[in-house]
Amino acid sequence: MGQNRNKLIDLFIGNMCNAILHKILEKAIDIPEIASKYNKEILNSWNIAKIYREKINPINSILHSKDTEEIEKRIIQRVKSELLIRISKGYKNINIEEVEKFVKEALREMKIIE
Amino acid sequence: MDQIYIPKNRSGFETGNYVLVKPLAQNEISGRDIEKPFIYGVSKISPIKIEIIKSIFSLINKNFCPDNVIITGSFLEEGFKFNDIDILIVDEKKQDYKELKHVLEEKIGINIHILSLTSSELREGVSSDPLYENMLSKFISCKRIILNIKRKILPKLLDLHLLKSKSIIDNFDILNGSEKYYLTKNMIAISLFIESKKVSNESINKEIKNKLKVEADDIKKNMIDKESFLRWYTKEYSRVFTMILHMIKKKENKDGPK
Repeated sequence: MGQNRNKLIDLFIGNMCNAILHKILEKAIDIPEIASKYNKEILNSWNIAKIYREKINPINSILHSKDTEEIEKRIIQRVKSELLIRISKGYKNINIEEVEKFVKEALREMKIIE
Repeated sequence: MDQIYIPKNRSGFETGNYVLVKPLAQNEISGRDIEKPFIYGVSKISPIKIEIIKSIFSLINKNFCPDNVIITGSFLEEGFKFNDIDILIVDEKKQDYKELKHVLEEKIGINIHILSLTSSELREGVSSDPLYENMLSKFISCKRIILNIKRKILPKLLDLHLLKSKSIIDNFDILNGSEKYYLTKNMIAISLFIESKKVSNESINKEIKNKLKVEADDIKKNMIDKESFLRWYTKEYSRVFTMILHMIKKKENKDGPK
């Protein structure tokens, strides 16, 4: 059971990273009217993350603080590392300072933190 | 002997049916063009499908009078293995098509997917989005369209599109066959688009076989070996991602600092 739970948390983190990364990259696109058209694409990873979230524990009960800290830390690290790969290759317009804010907002929406 | 020529893709009767040949009345001739849809890239379609398409065009035109109506997607493939009918309604004013979807689904008994866009959105989509180009590689429209569009490669947008396909790597077990095929198709369409190759279902499926060593149909049926598929998939994903990053770098250097 413990192993399954860890696997679910891993999958949840992977999909949350994708959804948050999508949001940040959308803002970095130079043509805003095109970027806004693709808002719906974000829903794919977000919806899968939601499925895993509900499997980790009931959506209305709060996770143990040790788990929430770990999840938040790992998502921030993974999103930042994906963004840094792009920045190192010359991708401009990415605001890495915003990662924490986006992650907190997303985790609040997923009822991982209050 | 006199000969009569009829269109290959016609509605109403199959090969071998007995027909009655009679001269057209003048009023029937004048209404003929409206009745005849414009077919692009579709080599063969059954008469029953043409009948369905004509009834869709008629219902939409009667109630909304849009600039054009386009049918695309799996409905135009040979046989009856489609999931839904994809309808693009092209019009300068945006309207609510929820009720139309409901009415069409009731009438035809097939799931309907409606996308509403203006002609400039359609042009922009086809020139910069590989999946739009794929969608319009085969279509039937109410009025004739000439798609003489030059590809516009926007690397940051392609990066965003490609990100979607990453979810197969993490979620192989949870995704069904159609979802896996859609995400694979997305990645392959991007690579063909970048490499200036034709983006159509045929070219995508051929490239899937070539790059991922599986048949597209096996992905759709969810009958693929996870380990082998993910090995080739990850390799192709990182190849396409590297190409995109290279293009971003080139473009950002050309555009100068921001």
